[in-house]
Amino acid sequence: MKKTRKLTALVLMLAIAVTCVFAGCGKNASTDSKSAESTATKNAVDDSFTKVQTKGTVVIGVDDEFPPMGFKDDSGNIVGFDIDFAKAACEKLGIKAEIKKISWDAKEMELSTGKIDMIWNGYTITDERAKKVLFSKPYLENNQVIMVAANSPIKSKTDLAGKKVGLQKESSAQDALTSDEATYKAIGEDNVKKYPTNVEAFMDLKVGRVDAVVVDEVVANYQATKDKGQFIVLKDSLAKEQYGVGFRKEDKALRDKFQGAIDSLIKEGKTAEISTKWFGTDIVMK
Amino acid sequence: MNFLLNCGIMLPQLLKGLLVTLKFFTMTIVLALPLGLLVSLGRITKFKPLKWLTGIYVWVMRGTPLLLQLFFVYYGLSMLGILKLEDFQAGLLAFTLNYAAYFAEIFRAGIQSIDKGQHEAAKALGFGYGKTMLFIIIPQMIKRTLPPVTNETINLVKDTALVAVIAIEDLLSNAKGIVSSKGDVTAYLLAAVIYLMITLVLTIIFKKVEKHYNISDGDQLLAH
Repeated sequence: MKKTRKLTALVLMLAIAVTCVFAGCGKNASTDSKSAESTATKNAVDDSFTKVQTKGTVVIGVDDEFPPMGFKDDSGNIVGFDIDFAKAACEKLGIKAEIKKISWDAKEMELSTGKIDMIWNGYTITDERAKKVLFSKPYLENNQVIMVAANSPIKSKTDLAGKKVGLQKESSAQDALTSDEATYKAIGEDNVKKYPTNVEAFMDLKVGRVDAVVVDEVVANYQATKDKGQFIVLKDSLAKEQYGVGFRKEDKALRDKFQGAIDSLIKEGKTAEISTKWFGTDIVMK
Repeated sequence: MNFLLNCGIMLPQLLKGLLVTLKFFTMTIVLALPLGLLVSLGRITKFKPLKWLTGIYVWVMRGTPLLLQLFFVYYGLSMLGILKLEDFQAGLLAFTLNYAAYFAEIFRAGIQSIDKGQHEAAKALGFGYGKTMLFIIIPQMIKRTLPPVTNETINLVKDTALVAVIAIEDLLSNAKGIVSSKGDVTAYLLAAVIYLMITLVLTIIFKKVEKHYNISDGDQLLAH
């Protein structure tokens, strides 16, 4: 009886010790962000950029299932047009870029709670979002388009009536569709399936569980090229949009510094290079 | 006042999600309990192949994450060209198979905990295997397995939130959507309260059921 008591006590102490170690590891991260937030509110001076400079890294939130803007390559690295663009801008400012995968439907929360410093991943500028985040100047023009299977009878937006339509949850595709009241009504609210990522919406399009997917033009074209012959991108545009980089509302200095870097990169032709690499041509806004 | 008004605006969408959650929950329970019972009988049978088969089934279902099973049943099976199910059917299938495995083990333990004397007495009375199980063993097993079954049932209420990954809009996913579009976390709070209410109702129901099964033990004489 005494031996088992001793053993139990030892195991319990070990368990508590291990838990403490894990708690300790987690604590540093949370206390850092807490002190960062309190200094931000205390200081009238905008030190959003100097903070990042001192830290040496800036955290960029991306949806890692959004090719070709941000996605994983075969080795598991996150790559894409926006990734190259962001890394180039960071290099110009002399800081490291930490690319962090986030849940796209929680992106603004990740930004406001300080888990990331900016959203840079095919982030469409909308009035709703502009209320919550500070945008850079637009750098890419985009359309919300409709993608269907190659042999689909759907040829235009009007053919979507009563059909099953897939899109990414809390994306600008969702905004575009719901704003197009006539089309949205014709489709029917219950026929709209909201997926955590676009990749999953495409999978269901492939097997026919949805008849169409509303998504950004750059993503649609990339997917249609990759899966040659399986998909068609319709000419109809549900909405014309522009991509921008999203910052916290109070981080004006950070945004301005990055805007400067972006402007230089465009002037130097570096963005044209990156754009050609991913899209075959330079589609960056000047 | 403004806070309550805010909550009122969110409620319709949350209740819509609640309906989906409840649908999944009730249908899974209705299907998983009988299936679990059948599998548990298979686990204790003398017929070796059946014992082996149900053993593998339980191992796979308990040994892989429910989330993975959801992905596999919905996306995996359809991409492999094996089976294309609608989202609700796929979710129901994955949940039922998963929870039946857990119930099977609970029922198995319950059945095996009933002492041999019961089996012998039943035999003496001329009961065959089927009659023994149906009239003697399983009724007693129900009483013994109520606490773990209550546990699993309450777990299921929360596990239903996983269906968001196959694009089904349940209570939690609707709450997330509201939080994300409003930038205010009140919806999380409301969702939590709703889940707690469901759990409370379930706990009360199971308590009543347990009390009913405990009548013969004379517990009713003790103050609660």
